[in-house]
Amino acid sequence: MGKKTDQQIAFWVFRILGLIVVAILCWILGFIVWNGIGVISWEFLTTAPTDGMTGGGIFPAIVGTFYLIIGSMIVAFPLGVMSAIYTTEYAGNGKTVRFIRIMTNNLSGIPSIIFGLFGMSLFVNTLGWGDSIIAGSFTLGLLVLPLVIRTTEEALKAIPDSFRTGSLALGATKLQTIKRVILPMAFPNIITGLILSIGRVSGETAPILFTVAAYFLPKLPTGIFDQVMALPYHLYVISTSGIDLNATRPMAYGTALVLIAIVLIMNLLASFLRRYFGKKVKTN
Amino acid sequence: MMMIQANNVDFYYGEFHALKGINMDIEPNTVTAFIGPSGCGKSTFLRLFNRMNDLIPGTKLQGECIVNGTNIYRKGINVDDLRKEVGMVFQKPNPFPKTIFENVAYGLRVNGINDSKVIKERVEQSLMGAALWEEVKDKLKKSAFELSGGQQQRLCIARALAIQPSVLLMDEPASALDPISTSKVEELIHELKNDYTIVIVTHNMQQAARVSDKTGFFMLGELVEYSDTKKMFFNPEKEQTQNYITGRFG
Repeated sequence: MGKKTDQQIAFWVFRILGLIVVAILCWILGFIVWNGIGVISWEFLTTAPTDGMTGGGIFPAIVGTFYLIIGSMIVAFPLGVMSAIYTTEYAGNGKTVRFIRIMTNNLSGIPSIIFGLFGMSLFVNTLGWGDSIIAGSFTLGLLVLPLVIRTTEEALKAIPDSFRTGSLALGATKLQTIKRVILPMAFPNIITGLILSIGRVSGETAPILFTVAAYFLPKLPTGIFDQVMALPYHLYVISTSGIDLNATRPMAYGTALVLIAIVLIMNLLASFLRRYFGKKVKTN
Repeated sequence: MMMIQANNVDFYYGEFHALKGINMDIEPNTVTAFIGPSGCGKSTFLRLFNRMNDLIPGTKLQGECIVNGTNIYRKGINVDDLRKEVGMVFQKPNPFPKTIFENVAYGLRVNGINDSKVIKERVEQSLMGAALWEEVKDKLKKSAFELSGGQQQRLCIARALAIQPSVLLMDEPASALDPISTSKVEELIHELKNDYTIVIVTHNMQQAARVSDKTGFFMLGELVEYSDTKKMFFNPEKEQTQNYITGRFG
């Protein structure tokens, strides 16, 4: 067999594998859109569930998920970015850093239900925050912390050292170098970490189960110590433990569609930001 | 008074003995070139004078490095302040991903100069000093990445000039440039000599001969010969120098 045929075969194998991945995604999306689009209406998006959750909309759950995304990002983002700055820019390559890295990796391997239980034990009970937005945000924040750290580390490592030495050689301190040169350059890639984290946070059910999610709560939260409904948990509830599962089936698909749409919109927004900062960084 | 003095300098990367008993005096407002085969320690020696080697873990220094009368490895020396006094231009142009203007202003801003009038003046002066002003005066707000390699290198020189150092260290500043850009940088070095003490590492012997007043030849971590450039190239004292210059090895 000639080299050329080899090439051809390899090319087709890779192409087909790539297409399979796309096809699976399209199938899932298509399936949900097909089944869910029927219930989507302005009313569905803006009203609370009624009739024992067999009617009405999912507004409180949308709001709840939105709050949890914001809350968990406030927890995870500064903490994660700062740890990554410490491990890549300050700590060198000693035992401490290796230990931190191993621990970070372990943290990302912990099943999410364990995070839920941990959050319940620490935030809900020990700290006495009760089932609340803040307890849920911290739990979700911890869950995505390794992801934020990892992506930020990669973003920082991708910046060539010549920019660091160039800045230091001009009498800039390390902190100034990081703040004025390194972080702005790494920012577009750090945003990618944010995108991934938001996707993860908005879809997780287990961590919010015992820390924030309400089974049915038609009124909106008034503060960070209130409980909220959240889309993934609501989806779980109306698919498995509703009063009339057949009646709520279309609503479940609708909820799934909204959840996916939110993640998609967040991703688009983030990739827009990424491109915006990517362009801006050259002339900041 | 000497601008730069090295007294019995020994330098180690871990176990590796990179510089062996180097002594050197450099007068102000001169250009000194360091030549020698790759790995001979000339860049290492250069980077001692703005303490760039501090960034590499596991290094050790013995002996004294004196800049402008101060032992720069003395306890209590502020390294950031030292680097304002001793500027550096690197082998590859490394402008920041900022505008042309902000690249030059960077050193001023990080050193606490915020007066926009002062900054504007200093940026203009520095770009003129680096013979770049005419080429960029209409596009100061454009990204520095839009410049050619040679222009970027002169931008890096302007950036170093902006903080008004007294010494300028250049680590093979023209090795990544085309011949025309190289000759521009060399002309520039000639002019900068009036205001700065310049030390340049180069692989290009013609370059050393063209731009420098004195030349130091390094080999295997030792300073083999250090004398007036003319003497070095026409009538070297050591056989090793003779061999290197005539291209018998290296």
